[in-house]
Amino acid sequence: MKKLLKYLKPYRKECVIAPAFKMLEALFELFVPLVIKRIIDEGIKKGNKDVIWQSAVILVSLGIIGLVCALIAQYFSAKAAIGFATGVRNSLYDKILGFSYENVDSVGTSSLITRMTNDINTAQNGVNMFLRLFLRSPFVVFGAMIMAFTINVKAALIFVVVIPVLFVAVFCITLITIPMYKRIQGSLDRLTGHIRENLTGARVIRAFSRGDSEKKEFTDENDKFFRLSVVTSRISTLLNPLTLIIVNVAMLILIANGAQLVDSGILTSGEVYALVNYMSQILVELVKLANLFITINKSLASASRISATFELSNALKDEGTLTLKDIPSKENILEFKNVSFAYPGAGDNSLNNVNFSVRKGETVGIIGGTGSGKSTVINLLMRFYDVSNGEILYNGVNVKDIALSSLRSVFSLVPQRAQLFSGTLRDNLLFANPQATEEAMLKAVNMAVADNVVMAKGQGLDFAITEGGSNLSGGQKQRLTIARALVKGAEVIVLDDSSSALDYATDSTLRKNLKSLGNTVFIISQRIVSIKDADKIIVLDDGNLDSIGTHAELYEKSAVYREICESQKSNEEETL
Amino acid sequence: MKNKNIYLRILRLVKPHMFFIVLSLLLAAASVFSSLYIPVLTGRAIDEMIGAGQVSFEAVRHILTLFLVMLLINGFATWIMTLINNRVTFKIVHDLRNRLFNKLHGVAVFYLDTKGHGDILSRLISDVERLSDGLLLGFSQLFTGVLTIIATLVFMLTINGWMALVVILLTPLSLFTASFISRKTYKHFKKQAALQGSLTAFINETVGAVRLITAFDAKEREAGKFSKLTDEYARVNLKSLFYSSITNPSTRFVNGLVYTGVAILGGFLGIAGRITIGTLSCFLSYASQYTKPFNEISGVATEFQNAVACAGRIFEFLDADNTVDVITSESHVTEFKGEIDIKDLCFSYDKSKKLLYDINFHVEPGSHIAIVGPTGCGKTTFINLLMRFFEPDAGEILYDGHRSDSIKKAVLRKNIGMVLQETWLKSATIAENIAYGKPDATRDEIVEAAKKAHAHSFISRLENGYDTMIAPDGGNLSAGQKQLLCIARLMLSIPPILILDEATSSIDTRTEIRITKAFQTLMEGRTSFIVAHRLSTIRNADLILVMKDGNIIEQGTHEELVRAQGFYYSMLNSK
Repeated sequence: MKKLLKYLKPYRKECVIAPAFKMLEALFELFVPLVIKRIIDEGIKKGNKDVIWQSAVILVSLGIIGLVCALIAQYFSAKAAIGFATGVRNSLYDKILGFSYENVDSVGTSSLITRMTNDINTAQNGVNMFLRLFLRSPFVVFGAMIMAFTINVKAALIFVVVIPVLFVAVFCITLITIPMYKRIQGSLDRLTGHIRENLTGARVIRAFSRGDSEKKEFTDENDKFFRLSVVTSRISTLLNPLTLIIVNVAMLILIANGAQLVDSGILTSGEVYALVNYMSQILVELVKLANLFITINKSLASASRISATFELSNALKDEGTLTLKDIPSKENILEFKNVSFAYPGAGDNSLNNVNFSVRKGETVGIIGGTGSGKSTVINLLMRFYDVSNGEILYNGVNVKDIALSSLRSVFSLVPQRAQLFSGTLRDNLLFANPQATEEAMLKAVNMAVADNVVMAKGQGLDFAITEGGSNLSGGQKQRLTIARALVKGAEVIVLDDSSSALDYATDSTLRKNLKSLGNTVFIISQRIVSIKDADKIIVLDDGNLDSIGTHAELYEKSAVYREICESQKSNEEETL
Repeated sequence: MKNKNIYLRILRLVKPHMFFIVLSLLLAAASVFSSLYIPVLTGRAIDEMIGAGQVSFEAVRHILTLFLVMLLINGFATWIMTLINNRVTFKIVHDLRNRLFNKLHGVAVFYLDTKGHGDILSRLISDVERLSDGLLLGFSQLFTGVLTIIATLVFMLTINGWMALVVILLTPLSLFTASFISRKTYKHFKKQAALQGSLTAFINETVGAVRLITAFDAKEREAGKFSKLTDEYARVNLKSLFYSSITNPSTRFVNGLVYTGVAILGGFLGIAGRITIGTLSCFLSYASQYTKPFNEISGVATEFQNAVACAGRIFEFLDADNTVDVITSESHVTEFKGEIDIKDLCFSYDKSKKLLYDINFHVEPGSHIAIVGPTGCGKTTFINLLMRFFEPDAGEILYDGHRSDSIKKAVLRKNIGMVLQETWLKSATIAENIAYGKPDATRDEIVEAAKKAHAHSFISRLENGYDTMIAPDGGNLSAGQKQLLCIARLMLSIPPILILDEATSSIDTRTEIRITKAFQTLMEGRTSFIVAHRLSTIRNADLILVMKDGNIIEQGTHEELVRAQGFYYSMLNSK
């Protein structure tokens, strides 16, 4: 938590000015009842008009000073809070974008988004309110009490009783309701989740005619939400009448006492008025304090979630210093040496002692069943994760010795999940390479067999992709992600099972096009046809390297490979 | 939708709770009256304390008894009123959400697709929330606010006309300040909301693509764009936050002026002996509170503006057309035999571009149809039409001779089973997911279905087996496993017509072949559509539909199509 405070540091001045001026404002407010007392006791009772004029001037001056102080305080607290939030937002964003795959796996994308949006906003609000009120409210409460004591100690004793009673009442109710509000929020989250699920699953739900049971599930949760809200409001709404009653009872006692004291000549009626007035000031401030308490509580929860995200150490150390210029080209561009890897938290190795090497310009196919470790090879190759054992070499250099950004510039990746950004197609292609020319982009589109996608939309590279690429089919998205990778123009092209939504004809054209580029290409696939023409096919079986060879060789020597082939009856005539 | 209509419809939402609202109004009146009467009593008590030895204890006691009664009435009335207001609002929210959720299941899938899921979600959650906030404030502050203003006026005028005049004349100043600031603030808030929207969208998209950004090493570029956005946001945010926080001190200041005015006039009238000290104290108390209801009302106005905008969005969704279930006279088929006729079928999302047109074919019960064709040729759309997720623009689909729009959707869909390209699982246990189409299935049946789908072995390896909870987006399962579960889900209730939409594309081949075998038994005697790439499947099909650009360009058996040497033939030879 303390770590977040450093984002307030540049605003140290604001953090002092805001509460200080807020306190000044409060101080001036505390004088008002005394001025009125003077009007009553010195002015009205003694018939002195000068006192009244003087008092008027004092009251207006107090108001103006109060206003100025308050505006200064509000401005500086807003400035500090926003500066704080902006600082946190930028560094958290930086932090998140720098997260390794392992970090993203462990935290989850949706919680990261919540940290960035809601949590930061809540923290900002907390800082703002805290700066404004944390000194002011206690100051008014105790200031009013002290003022009361200066008027008359005996009459002021009731303040000593009432303040703690009010404190207890206000904070008990607040403390009781805070966890209740959390439960309400939890229920609302479940409602939201249910709606989201029903939106994405609309087809399946309708196909199975389960609309009614889904509705019932929703209604049940909705009923629960309603009941929780009602129960909570029963307690939270007690606050207002309860505090009012306490303060009014205190006033009643104050007046009864006051009557005695006035009768004995110890108090004047103006003083009774001032005492009553201080009592109502306390009430107003205590309610503010209770609200502040709720806000702070929420903000602290958000702040602790934010700092937990900051504290996540990046699983991947970018300690390599070599850049691509420092590495002379070798015959074997990439090499796996005794590589083993287990995903964090997983018991078993996903890769066991894998060895292979790839020559520059080769097309390498990787095949194997689900969970055989195909994607893991890519994740290690591009150093999204670090190997548990062994080493991976790029032109003979351990990838850990190469600066991450240099290493990543070696690869053009087409990930398994076809993900595009909202914006034009051009924006999406430029994402891979901001310097790409129009020709290069069009060529990449052509190579990725995405011409007809672009044509069909009729706007060329200006075609606007909607959020999540929802105006494209799965196959269209896949082809555009391939085009994006080609725009990057890196040495090694990696297709991670990224032609699954393509029909065979498109897939085949695509592979022919890639071949013509002369790059080193990795193709991961479940389909034999996609890899059978590769120079080298790596067969993985349950994390182990089964065999390496060409299609013909493997068909001879590898039982696993043959089984896969059989299952797909993969020969030229039998696939479409 | 016109604002006037929205107001009317909001009123209609409130109408069933009229009794409670009237009750709440009465309680508000009691609460306002008692709270305004207390300063009067305080003033009277002060007047009874003239000086040493001049206090009438009898009178003070009498006044304080009344004081006690008033404060009890006030506390009680305020509490019950707030309870009622909350309850009514919660109830309206509750009912509205239920209606909206029902609507979600009533509208066409097409509508959900085009509106966007995020948009609909925000209507159901945040718009309803904001409408309820607006209503609650309306109930609790508008009532009491207006009542307080009127009652204070009456109280003041009955006590002293001159003093009342000062308050009445000075109050507009406060009103003006409040409305000026809220107008200023609103403008900045709108700007801020828009920027916040784009900031959130940016975060959503890029944080959701951290892996991609890593792979393309685009971190610096994205961070640069982001910091530009946040700077802009901070600038606008400072303005809107500052302006909105001006409201309180400014109105407090104006309030202070009114207070001073009352104090001066009271002082002079006091000296002239025209009012008592108690009256002054009472007026000062009124003056210090009099601007509060005005501020509250203006706060309500802003909040209510928001609420009306949200209500508009809510009603718009509620007004969306429900899909028509049965168009022509209802036919009473319950179980299909599996004969299908497609006649001149046409469909398009937007009328300028035809997506599917002139589709014609006939399917005998129990025959197997392979649909082949390049990506984007309209296969998915066709399936949506078969299931009546979409309604055709022209032409008809006949099941056993009955038009599809004469068969209840529930009946129709019960007769067609499908494995969709995109897997969807509920965040419930694995067993519940498999039993999704047959909720009363026994555990044995579920296990049996899982075995048939070859999902049993991986399920048993999970820590909680069949009782394992599936994470909201199926995150704890691999794509292959998810698809296996979707297949198992179908295994439990085998309908007479099957649609297999690239069902096996992300399952490894060795599992795939077992599934294919299971499918073959499943498909036996059942009409089946298979969107497939595997030649063995295609070749064994009784009918191959070759689709291209939204049209069936060739149909027939494998041999017939090869003989014809058309598009199919060229696809074969493209290998």
